[in-house]
Formats: sequence, C-alpha cells, structure tokens
Amino acid sequence: RLVLCRLTQVRWSRYNPSFLEPEVNKELYQKPWEELSEEEKEKLELKAVQPIKAAPPTVSSSVFSDPMISKFTNMMMKDGNKVLARSLMAQTLEAIKRKQLEKYHKAPEDEKETIECNPYIIFHQALKNCQPIIGLSSITKGGKTYQVPVPLKDNRKRFLAMKWLITECRENKNRRMLMPEKLSQELLQAFNNEGPIIKKKHVLHKMAEANRAYAHFRWW
Amino acid sequence: MAAPVYPAWVTRWVSGQWRQKKRPPVIRPTRPLVLADKVANRREQAGEATCITEMSVMMACWKQNDFNDTACAEEIRMFYDCVAKAEKERKDQNEEDTLSPRGNLTSSKVNKLLRRFPQITRYV
Repeated sequence: RLVLCRLTQVRWSRYNPSFLEPEVNKELYQKPWEELSEEEKEKLELKAVQPIKAAPPTVSSSVFSDPMISKFTNMMMKDGNKVLARSLMAQTLEAIKRKQLEKYHKAPEDEKETIECNPYIIFHQALKNCQPIIGLSSITKGGKTYQVPVPLKDNRKRFLAMKWLITECRENKNRRMLMPEKLSQELLQAFNNEGPIIKKKHVLHKMAEANRAYAHFRWW
Repeated sequence: MAAPVYPAWVTRWVSGQWRQKKRPPVIRPTRPLVLADKVANRREQAGEATCITEMSVMMACWKQNDFNDTACAEEIRMFYDCVAKAEKERKDQNEEDTLSPRGNLTSSKVNKLLRRFPQITRYV
C-alpha cells in the first residue's frame, strides 16, 4: 500500500492513471483536419484536454529511429554503456551494407536485383527468420516435470531471437574478431536461413515435435 | 498485590459449577472475530489445451519438409490464427463478470470486489 504521508515520495513515482501516452508519429500531426477519421478526431480532442506523460528518451520521432533496433541495442548494452552499444550497432549496419555492396558489384547483371542492400530490411528479415514458432515449457504433473510444446507470445519470440543472436556472437567468436563483424556475419547468415542460430531454432522445433504427445498437459 | 481478578470462567470452574452441566465454550478466540478482506484460493476447473490439431498439422508438415519454414508457411499462418483466436476468447471469458453455471465467482474476482468494499474495523 502506498503511504502518502510525505510531500514528495521517495520510493518510486507513478503517473496518475488519467495520463495518456505521448504520440510520437509526426505524420499524424501533419494531416489536415478534414482528412482525419471520426475516432482520430475524437482522440485528438481528448488529447488537448487530458494530461500527457513525458516521452521517454529512447522513443524519438525521427525517420532513422526504429523500435526494434533500439530494443536490440539495449539488449547489447553492458553496464549502462549506451554510447558503446549504439556505436557497435551503427558499425554492424555499416558492415552489413559494405558486404552487400561488395556482393552487388561483383554479381552479374541479372542477379543484381536479387541482392538486398538495405541493412534495416536485412536486420528485420533475419530476426523474423530466427524467431521460434513454438516453445517448450516445464509442466509438473504427477511428480514428474515434462517439457510441453506451447505457443509463444510475440514479445517472447522477439526476445528469444535477439537473445540467441547476442549470446551466439559473444561466445562463439575468435579472440581478435570484433562484435560488429561477427554480428553482421550472423545476421547475413540468418537472412539466408543458415547459420548456428537457425540451427538452434530447428533444434527447439525438433524437441517440440518429439514431445508433441505431452501437448494435452497444457491447460491454457 | 491486591486480590487478583481472574476471568469469569476461572471462578466458575473453581466453584464447581461445571461439574454438573454447564461447560465453558471450547474455543477461546485469540483474535477478534472479524471477517477478512479476502477468500482462500479455490482450484479452478482446468481448461483443455487449445489449437492441438493445428499444431499437429504444422508438425507433420515440418517433418515432411525438414523443418523448413517457407515451405510450411500456410500451416504456420493457420496455427498463429488459431492461437490468436484462443487468446482472445480466453480474455473475453475472463473479462465478463457473470456467475459460473454453479452460481460461483472465481476467487480472484471475489477478492477484487472485497478489496473495493473492505471490512470497517474502526470508526473515526
């Protein structure tokens, strides 16, 4: 229970439930008034009256910001060193672009269109390829624990993909290889559906398939 | 020390009144008799696992195509649809505040209601 006997609370503060989330999308504000639909008009009118929370520093309205990339950078960050993590991410994207451009210029004319050069698209597609489709959860029944195949939520899938990617890059690399290079290598491999992370995903799927008899132990 | 004041049951016991018929109450409450603001957790009826057919179809497809995701895209899409539908159904079921066929509410819902209207223990 929150005891509000002080003037300023010391432990943690929480916004009043009436505060609304900030809208960072610039395009919504640049639309003229007539083009908005009914519910959007209502929402804007409500926002003019209700108080709004402060936007967190990670969220930005620039064209270069991407929520998935920021999440990945945060997961790569160690000891709060966001500067280092962000620079590593930028170097990774640059490395991907360089490798793809090299391939592009070496390829013959008819294959040039199939090569993808945009590092953001490669990142998103690689993450999507790494996401597992079902996971295993330990359920205890009759004293024994079984690994039951269970559908995963979207957040969990994204988290698992990113976690596998980062642990793979941290552990299985040569002494002298830097993180951006290794990461770009892994991302390109995942983009082409090959490599150790895709293998890990397949191993998980195989285990789920082997345990499919226990699927009835789920109660949700 | 002045004449010690014993509780009433002690004097009654000493006077031998209980040997005949009257006995004191067996339970002597240690805490005040006040209703708590929560009920004990009751084990709800376990539901069944959903989307098993879709999952088995997807796994059969995987076995045929060597766990290739692009080859089984249709089955995977059906599995995701089934999962989303089951999740939505579950949320709707939990959201409605109706009594179950036996006339009960789940213990969590009862606790939420009781928290809104707690027992008054003191008057100000």
